[in-house]
Amino acid sequence: MTKSFSHLDALEAESIYIFREAAAQFSKSVLLYSIGKDSTVLLHLARKAFFPQKPPFPLLHVDTGWKFRDMIEFRDKTVRDLGLDLIVHRNEDGAARGIDPVSYAPSLYTDVMKTQGLKQALERYGFNGAIGGARRDEEASRAKERIFSFRSANHRWDARKQRSEMWNLLNGRLGTGETVRIFPLSNWTERDVWRYVRRERLAVVPLYMAAERPTILRNGQLLMLDDGRLPLQPGERVVNRKIRFRTLGCWPLTAAVESESEDLESVVTETLAATTSERQGRLIDHDQTGAMERKKQEGYF
Amino acid sequence: MSAVAQKSNMHGYEQLTSQPIANLDNATIAHPDRLDAIVRVLTCGSVDDGKSTLIGRLLWDASDLPDDTRATINRSVDADGVPDVSLLVDGLVAEREQGITIDIAWRYFDAGHRRYVIIDSPGHEQYTRNMATGASHADVAIMLIDARHGVKRQTRRHAAILDLMGVRRVILAVNKMDLIIWSEEKFRAIERDFQQLVRRFNFIEAAAIPVAAKRGDNVARRSDQAPWYHGQTLIERLSEVSNRDTAINAPFRFPVQSIIRDGLDFRGLSGTVATGSIQVGKSVQLNNSGATARIRRIVTMDGDLDIAVAGNAVVLQLDADYDVSRGAILAEAVQPPIYAQSLQARLVWLAETPLDTDHGLLIRTSTDLTPVSSLSVTAKLDLETLAENPATICLPNDVFLADISTSRPIAIDRFSDVSETGCFVLVDALSGSTLACGVVVQAHEHVLKHPSARPSFTLSVAQLEREICAGLSSSSDEFHRRANAVARILESAGLSVDIKRD
Repeated sequence: MTKSFSHLDALEAESIYIFREAAAQFSKSVLLYSIGKDSTVLLHLARKAFFPQKPPFPLLHVDTGWKFRDMIEFRDKTVRDLGLDLIVHRNEDGAARGIDPVSYAPSLYTDVMKTQGLKQALERYGFNGAIGGARRDEEASRAKERIFSFRSANHRWDARKQRSEMWNLLNGRLGTGETVRIFPLSNWTERDVWRYVRRERLAVVPLYMAAERPTILRNGQLLMLDDGRLPLQPGERVVNRKIRFRTLGCWPLTAAVESESEDLESVVTETLAATTSERQGRLIDHDQTGAMERKKQEGYF
Repeated sequence: MSAVAQKSNMHGYEQLTSQPIANLDNATIAHPDRLDAIVRVLTCGSVDDGKSTLIGRLLWDASDLPDDTRATINRSVDADGVPDVSLLVDGLVAEREQGITIDIAWRYFDAGHRRYVIIDSPGHEQYTRNMATGASHADVAIMLIDARHGVKRQTRRHAAILDLMGVRRVILAVNKMDLIIWSEEKFRAIERDFQQLVRRFNFIEAAAIPVAAKRGDNVARRSDQAPWYHGQTLIERLSEVSNRDTAINAPFRFPVQSIIRDGLDFRGLSGTVATGSIQVGKSVQLNNSGATARIRRIVTMDGDLDIAVAGNAVVLQLDADYDVSRGAILAEAVQPPIYAQSLQARLVWLAETPLDTDHGLLIRTSTDLTPVSSLSVTAKLDLETLAENPATICLPNDVFLADISTSRPIAIDRFSDVSETGCFVLVDALSGSTLACGVVVQAHEHVLKHPSARPSFTLSVAQLEREICAGLSSSSDEFHRRANAVARILESAGLSVDIKRD
């Protein structure tokens, strides 16, 4: 008996194939784990790819110090339950200089705490293959991304120097000083990620589900106050609203949406019917045109 | 014989003007949990033919674009109130600044019960290699032409590349029909030229559709401008086209990706079934010695399977420990792959520098990477006449024939027999970059003696331990680094090098 493949079966199989190629071709790989739904799907696929073995690489979380507390709790529980190795890296130099999302522009903060932090971690541990959850449907520069994305010795991305990828043949042979970002979810869409979360009954950070949370309205965006570090501006009032997040990042840079969807089932239904793109809630991408392209050139994953 | 779609529209004319895409809209809004197929669509044509506008139209009329995106595009309407949908396929800042398009972009949308993946390859600069890359992934290609100019040299070149890369289904979108006042006569003439053209290739479906992408006529909405046209709209055609034959009926091929271990008791072979199927208890051939083994278990995290078919990513456990590793292709003994040391292949040169036969080359086939001991160009393909003219050199974007010998036998198929395991890329041993892609025309078990055959050299771990890696553990990073450095120096000197890790 053969059952026909659904598109999720095909995407799952493709991702597993990519994971196995990465592990076979790079001597030192790491899974960039950022705790959100894409990372959750990525980790689940990694487990499937190597079952009954554990994934043959550690998880790396580049912590900015401004992740929601729920995210950190979820991260620690996940690695504990699954018995995985987790490396948490923070750009201590940036933290010491007080680079935070409150007093600095999102672009500078992201560059120092995320991009530089990631580069530091990759160099410190000598990783040559970094597996991330980026999808081509996210943004224009991502739409041109390869599955094996090569970076020069200083981690720069050059659109013109990417290798042609033909059929399913992935060429991971490194040149001197090169490293690779690997994107097993390249061909997934946001809706696929949610469909898959539902199909596989994956646990996600509770912030994706609606609950009463303390919020402020700033520049037309709903921000949740996760602790007391964000000073209020004149006229701002903390109001409890029933909110959830479509995407999770550093809390002062991630906008929430008002929602009644309290459980996964209704979140998925709501997301499948959503009529705005998810990155609307990502304030760092609105900085300037081509923001993602520039961040990628500088080494952002 | 190629059949240009003449199927009449079930709905007749009543649909011409009102509620153009209502049926599609309903299907998209529902967002089913399960889509039945992923269809990869390559678009080829140049900017002048209106390619961005056509893709933009598909996204605008047939897909579930977010409201914020629609609002942005709606800010750019022309005098007639038509939004500039080509902005939907806007590229990189670097491209806008330099007025160029850098290789292929991937876009996704759902319509009905299908996921469409639009593979957008630039029409002008470096188009051969970009088209070849896109075509290697495509189930169907939309060949876009300007109705005023008809089938041109470029259309012939495009068809040749599609055919070479194994695309079997094509659609000719005759765009800008409004500029020839929807002339049936002119369209039919173009259609005839196209039919004549496609007969020279191996296409199994070839339809011509008159469209005007700017306003969306016959893209996702039936045009009221061409009552003489009874064929399908572009999206109707796409909704019926089959995807690349996932060859469940082809011979079984399982390229081994890695060994999976669990404690002392479990050793399995991970991989994705490329073609065919395999059942528990069946016997498989492991390598060119003819050794066989039985499948004991087909393992997945969701539970064991009785049967694995093309597309399944699984772990196979054999009935005993055999010497099988990454690079092997498991097959059924009755229809094994060819264990070849010499190939005749058609290639597309992808690199920006010409072929330099003194460079060390590696060939990547399925999951194997093998040193090339010789490569000689025998002919260059003229994409317009399709003649194979004798040649000895190859330049960027050339399509050529070559004889390739490898330093050891590799498991491979003829592309025409099993395309999934009949293709390869050539890798620069020193820089690692992908230089060319190719399809196997013929494969031979023996090395065809060639005067320029490159001497090959095998580095063993024992040798390395005695010399440059003395005192290092053979599993250490430093050992790897030094071993690879030695291999690269030898390869750059023209030797083909293999490192034996046993």
